[in-house]
Amino acid sequence: MTRPTRREFLRRLTASALAAPVVGSLGSCTAKAGQGGTTDDDLGPIEKDLSLYLWSDYLADTTVPEFEREFGVRVTVDTYESNEEMAAKLIAGASGYDVVLPSSYLFPLFHANRLALPLNRKYLGNWSNVAPLFVNPSWDPGNRISVPWAWGTTGIAYRRDLVDAPPTSWAVFHDARYRGKMTMLDDYRDVIGSFLKFRGRSLNSVDPSELEQAKADALAAKPNLKAYLSGPVKSQLIAGDVVIAQLWNGDASQAIAEQPEIGFVVPEEGSMIFADALVVLANAPHKRAAHEFLNYILRPEVAAAISDKTGYGSANQAAVPLTRAKVPYPTEADLARLEYQTDLGGGAELWDRIWTEIKSG
Amino acid sequence: MTRRFSRWLVASAALVYLFLHAPVLALMVFSFNDSKFSASWMGFTLEWYRRLVERDDILLGLGRSLAIGLGATVVATGLGTLLALAFHRHRFPGKRAAESLLYLAIVTPEIIMGISLLAAFVAVGFSLGTLTVAIAHVTFSISFVAVVVGARLRGMDRNLEEAAMMLGADEWEAFWKVTVPSLMPGIVAGALLAFTMSFDDYVITSFVAGPGSSTLPLVVYGMVRRNIEPSINAISTLIVVITSLLIYLADRSMRRSAR
Amino acid sequence: MRRRLLRWFARRPAASGGALAAPGLLWVAAFFLAPIAVMLGYSVRERGLYGGVAPGLTLEHYGRFLEPLYLEVLGRTVLWALVTTAACLLLGYPVAYVIARAKRWRQILLFLVILPFWTSFLVRMFAMIFLLRDTGLVNTLLQRLGLTTDPIQLLYTPGAVLIGMVYGFLPLMVLPIYASLEKLDDSLLEAAEVLGANGPTRFARVVWPLSLPGVVAGCLLTFIPALGSFVPSDLLGGAKQVMIGNLIQNQFTAARNWPFGSAAAFAMMALVLVAVVGYLRRRDAREVVG
Repeated sequence: MTRPTRREFLRRLTASALAAPVVGSLGSCTAKAGQGGTTDDDLGPIEKDLSLYLWSDYLADTTVPEFEREFGVRVTVDTYESNEEMAAKLIAGASGYDVVLPSSYLFPLFHANRLALPLNRKYLGNWSNVAPLFVNPSWDPGNRISVPWAWGTTGIAYRRDLVDAPPTSWAVFHDARYRGKMTMLDDYRDVIGSFLKFRGRSLNSVDPSELEQAKADALAAKPNLKAYLSGPVKSQLIAGDVVIAQLWNGDASQAIAEQPEIGFVVPEEGSMIFADALVVLANAPHKRAAHEFLNYILRPEVAAAISDKTGYGSANQAAVPLTRAKVPYPTEADLARLEYQTDLGGGAELWDRIWTEIKSG
Repeated sequence: MTRRFSRWLVASAALVYLFLHAPVLALMVFSFNDSKFSASWMGFTLEWYRRLVERDDILLGLGRSLAIGLGATVVATGLGTLLALAFHRHRFPGKRAAESLLYLAIVTPEIIMGISLLAAFVAVGFSLGTLTVAIAHVTFSISFVAVVVGARLRGMDRNLEEAAMMLGADEWEAFWKVTVPSLMPGIVAGALLAFTMSFDDYVITSFVAGPGSSTLPLVVYGMVRRNIEPSINAISTLIVVITSLLIYLADRSMRRSAR
Repeated sequence: MRRRLLRWFARRPAASGGALAAPGLLWVAAFFLAPIAVMLGYSVRERGLYGGVAPGLTLEHYGRFLEPLYLEVLGRTVLWALVTTAACLLLGYPVAYVIARAKRWRQILLFLVILPFWTSFLVRMFAMIFLLRDTGLVNTLLQRLGLTTDPIQLLYTPGAVLIGMVYGFLPLMVLPIYASLEKLDDSLLEAAEVLGANGPTRFARVVWPLSLPGVVAGCLLTFIPALGSFVPSDLLGGAKQVMIGNLIQNQFTAARNWPFGSAAAFAMMALVLVAVVGYLRRRDAREVVG
């Protein structure tokens, strides 16, 4: 059972009504607050240090300094450039970090390697700010180990002034009119996944014949592409060297801020949705401070500042009204087209082989 | 004929220097560009330098990179030079295997070295931090130093040392007074290489760094992956300008004391 | 005491060689050989579904690497590394020569070769993108000068990859050549001139043979790391090709097939090792004769 109990709901209400530092002491009075698989171990007093290991460029400038000031905790932030790099490092046994920020598709790996600490809700007084969309998500049933932070989709960014008509379908990458002016992400899940969607398949398919078709589609698109390019494509979109680019929505909004002629669509065939969520590591040296940080991120104004900085949607629904550039939650109709990436399990090998074949083709 | 040949050499060297420095000049110019994405010239600003003052992560990273780079260079240059001497001046069992080992260390893909070192540190209970990063840097630099110093050693004749010893110096004195000075260009080249590789390494460092030991490349990669934050151009410009200045001053004072 | 120790070593050349080599070899054994041996073990294990390895021994990963798909990747990478090495030699030799012959400016010129490398690699790659892209500096200049009307595609071409690779590895070529050329004596060149040798002849007969150890070292130091390089291909070539470096990296990250990644790495390392051992054997044989 993962829905909050009535008592829990009341406790959260009181907690969020009080100033945050009080939440901790209040929490420790209600010893049996844990539920739905989360733990209720007392974590003791707040530690003096906290080590965050996060995606780069994912914090607002004020996020960490204000946390440090308020809680008297010295925070070190180290960054990684891909989910996979972070995962490889943790699997190899790296320790010392408290909080990491994996994307939703990485959760099976976190579960399998027992990397995460079950969260203790009594320290997360601001939990009720989480948008319903991210309560009890498929990738972390019962939100046992994570606090959702941001979400996004993969779509197509384009230059309104430089294309004949806004693209509506992944088929645009087969359109020779834009030959040499288009890019796709340098990410095999996004490239192969979008062509699976193009044929109406699941973007998590491990069916060899479906993947064979996606490979053929990707190879047909390759001669039209200027490059496979991820984040750095923004400056080329702004300059107009690239007019159509497969891109994540947050990066697209960062580019739109500099060049208003850029538009962004999620193709009609559907696309990928992802969430990034904060996880406290099982071997975290500073578990209490980590919980306080998670709870701090759940504050509306903190989450709103982050969303404004990154351009990605906030998983915090109380934050949305406070953001300058609104990133509305997907509607029911949108959700029908969007699909979470999940772990490919044994299928990863076939995907990797196909990616190598596409790059070699 | 002779003049023309050497003039041709100098001209092509000058072109190579231009090639090496053109991107650096470009980033220096863009460090004053008033646009976050540096798409084109949008006007002059000092904003990125001002922002640098607020970014203590860049400055801390720079400090760590310098400390790790200097430490690793000293150790790697010492060990590498000794290895070069052993390989080129002596015969001992297993020499060829040992020398092949050095080349093996050069050919090992960075990610393999990074992950295997990380796993080893974890296995013996070393906690990740500045020290593990420095150890890793020494490990991948030793071979480069040994090969560069070896190139200097090969073909260098031993007459001078033998003469020194005939004049009554023992092997120890001959080594310090004759061998080391004549090896110096090789040692300096090797040390420069070691420092540069340490200062610029990303992949291996990203695996063996622990909380709060991110070096400058780690910080920089984080800032440029999504978009090139012009503060990076600013710090690069500062590094280049300050090092150039230091080297120029050192060169001048050395010349003065020589005179 | 020192003299007695030295005498002991003097009588045992093998021991003194060993003593010199010991600290470095111990370091390499502890921090390179031992960890890498564990990876060698990984390469014959089953793939762990969620990273790492699973119990069970197999050689299938080496077998997989021998498939045409992956051999093609290897072949392409070797070709790129060869072309890079040749280009570095061509560009690096004159630089090393000029540095070694310079008197007043020698130290400064040496530092100028290294200086660009104290900005971060990725920063230099992005600077290169600024220069090469359609609206970049080179194209803008060409158009201003009236040499071209439309931008020519420079970025995301094989030429751009080569430029990036050469840029990345040039110091590895220049430094060893410089180190061996530095002992080139003026008197030697003068003697050659007195004997009537012109520039190219003096170069071929005097300079080149003298620099050969440096050239060989430089080529090895360029070629070997170039084999593992893939960032220039990704950023300047538009990631349209897989290099062996990407392939291996992918196995530890996205594809999560640590054993196959290890096997691919060791297959590549074995290839280089065979070449290097062959070279060392020939060199040692020559030295015994000479």
